[in-house]
Amino acid sequence: MSPRSLFFAASVFGLMALQTPVQADVDPEALVEPVAEYKLYVLDNIDQFVSHTEKFTQAIEAGDLERAQALYAPTRVYYERIEPIAELFADLDASIDAREDDYENGVEDPDFTGFHRLEYGLFKEQITQGFVPYAKRLMTDVNDLESRVQGLTFPPAKVVGGAAALMEEVAATKVSGEEDRYSHTDLWDFQGNVDGSQKIFELFKPLVAEEDPAFVDRVEKNFAEVEDTLAHYRHETDNPEAGFVSYEKVSQTDRRAFVGPVTVLAEDLATLRGKLGL
Amino acid sequence: MSVSPPPSARLLKLGVLASAVLMLAALGLFALSLNGRDHDDGDVRLVVTAQGCEPRELSVPAGETRFSIVNDSQRAIEWEILDGVMVLEERENIAPGLHQPLTATLAAGDYAMTCGLLSNPHGTLHVTANDDAPAVALSRQAFIAPLAEYKVYLTLQTRRLVEAAEALHQAIAAGELEAARTAYREARLIDQRLAMATGLYSDLDERLNARAEYFAKREQDPQFVGFHRLARGLFDAESTDGLTPIAAQLLEDARTLGERFRHQAIPPAQLANGSARVLEAWHAHALDSKTLSAHELLDLQGLTAGAEKIVTLLAPLLERQAPNALEGLQARLARLQQDLPEQSNTASGAKDSRDVDREALLADTQALADTLDSLNRTLALNG
Repeated sequence: MSPRSLFFAASVFGLMALQTPVQADVDPEALVEPVAEYKLYVLDNIDQFVSHTEKFTQAIEAGDLERAQALYAPTRVYYERIEPIAELFADLDASIDAREDDYENGVEDPDFTGFHRLEYGLFKEQITQGFVPYAKRLMTDVNDLESRVQGLTFPPAKVVGGAAALMEEVAATKVSGEEDRYSHTDLWDFQGNVDGSQKIFELFKPLVAEEDPAFVDRVEKNFAEVEDTLAHYRHETDNPEAGFVSYEKVSQTDRRAFVGPVTVLAEDLATLRGKLGL
Repeated sequence: MSVSPPPSARLLKLGVLASAVLMLAALGLFALSLNGRDHDDGDVRLVVTAQGCEPRELSVPAGETRFSIVNDSQRAIEWEILDGVMVLEERENIAPGLHQPLTATLAAGDYAMTCGLLSNPHGTLHVTANDDAPAVALSRQAFIAPLAEYKVYLTLQTRRLVEAAEALHQAIAAGELEAARTAYREARLIDQRLAMATGLYSDLDERLNARAEYFAKREQDPQFVGFHRLARGLFDAESTDGLTPIAAQLLEDARTLGERFRHQAIPPAQLANGSARVLEAWHAHALDSKTLSAHELLDLQGLTAGAEKIVTLLAPLLERQAPNALEGLQARLARLQQDLPEQSNTASGAKDSRDVDREALLADTQALADTLDSLNRTLALNG
C-alpha cells in the first residue's frame, strides 16, 4: 500500500467514524403523534402560564410586594418548560424573558421589560411602585404568546431539538446563577427546563428505545441524577411546587456538580433529531 | 490445536506506529473539515461585533447556505435568522472570539438577522431566487407537521364536542326542549367540522351522522340514531320524549371518537381527498332539496370551518410546490365563506334560509370540493 493510499484509507476511515450520519429507520408518520402530544402539553402549560401571570401581575398592581416576590418563580416555571416553542417568537421572547445584559444600557434601557425587569424591581429595589406598566405589558405579551402558540403548526425539528436546547441552556447560561441574579430562584428555572426536556424525551423515547436501548438508559440515568440533585434542594423532596432554597445557598462545588450530567444530557439529546431522521 | 507464533517485538512496534499514523491522518483531515471551509469552501462569513453585524446586509441564493458566525464581541452571543418575528434558525452561545457554523435552507425573500445585543440593529439577509436549484419533491417528512397540527385540532374540537354532547344529554334528560335545541346546534356544528376525519371510521360515522334514508325502515329503524334521529325529535316532533338513550349513545360515541383521533393515524392523502368527499356529500344532499334548511346551512358552516383548517395546513406545502394551486384553493374557500351567512346559535335558531343564495352556495361548495379533489395530484400523494 502506497503512503498516499494509506493516507486516503485512513482519512476515509476517520471521516466515517466521525461524520457518518446516524441512520434513521423511523417512519416519518410515527412522529405525528408525539409532535401532536407535545403541542397539547405546551397548550396546557401556556394555559397555566397565563393564569399564573394574571395573579403575579395583579399582585404588583395591588402593591403587594411580598406576594409578588413569592409568585415570581412559580410563574416563570411554565415559560421555562415550553421555551423551545416560546423562543421561536423572537419579539416576545425578548420582551418577556430578556436579561439586562442583552441591552447595551442594561437596566437603564427603556426596552428592557418582562420578568427580569420586574425581578430587578421586586428583589433588588424591593418595590412595586413604578413597575405597574411593566406588569401590564407582561400580561399583554403573555396573552399574545398564548394566541400565537395556539395558531402555530409546530415544526417537528424544533420540537425534537428542544430537548437538547433546554439542557444546553442550563449548562451554558444558568448554572452560573446569572438568570435570576436578584431573586436567586434559579433552581425553579432549572426544574422547568429539565421538565420540558424530559417531556420531549419521554414522548419520542418509544421510537428510539428498540434501536438504541443504551442511549435510552444513559439519558434516563442522567435525568435521574439531575432530578436527585434538584430534589436535594427542594423544601419538600418530592414536591417541586413547594419550591427551592435560594441559589446563593448552593455551593460552587454543587453548582459544578450540575454541569456534568446536564452537559452529557445536552450532548446525548442533540443526537435525537438524527436518530429520528429530522 | 495449533498455536500461532507470537509476533515479533519489531512487528508490534511497527503496528503501533502504523495505527498512530492512521489516527493522526484521520484527525488531521477531520480538523481540516472543521476549519478549512471558512474562507475557501463557500461559507458565508458574518462577524458580530459589540455594535452589530458586519456586513449589515448579506445576499445569498435560495437553497442551502452554510454560514460561519464569528463572535468578535466581548460576550457570548446568539445569532438568529428571523422571518418577521419568527425564529427560523439559530445558533446559541457562541463564545467571544470563536466562530460557529449554521446551515440553513432558505426560500427567496428578505429576512432579518439578530446581531448580538438586543439593542443592536438587526441585519438584513436577502435571499435571491435561484433558478438553478432543483425543485425539491415533497418528502413524507413534510407531512409530519400538518398531520400533527390536524391531530391537535381534532383533539381540541372533540373535547368541545364532548362538552356539548354532555349539555345536550342533560337537557334532553331534563325534558328542556329549548336548551336541548341550543345544545344540539352547538354539538352539530362541531361534529361537522370533524366530518372528514369521522368519515374514516364507518361505525362511528354511521351512529353519529347517518340519515334515515340509509336504513331499511327509515325513521322507524332501531339502528337510526345519532344527530339526525335527535333532530327529528327536537325540531320535527318538538319533543324530547324517548331521546335520552340516543343522546347518551351520542355522548359515548363522541368520547370514543376523541380517543381514536388522538391515537390513530390519518393518512396524508385524506386531508384533501376527505375534505372534498364531505363537501360533495353535502352538495349531493342539498341538490335534492328545493330550499336550504337551517340544518343544512349549519352543516355547511361546520364543513367550511373544517375545510378552512385543512387549507391552512396544506398552504405551506402548496406554497412551495404549486403556488398557483394554492391561490385557486384560497380563492374558492374565501368565496364560499363570503356567500355563507354568519351562523347564530341563539334561541331563535339558525338563520333563515330565505337570506341565502342557494345556487351560489351549491356552486361554491362544488368548486371548493373539485379543487380539493385535485390537490393530491399536485402534492404527488396517493393512497
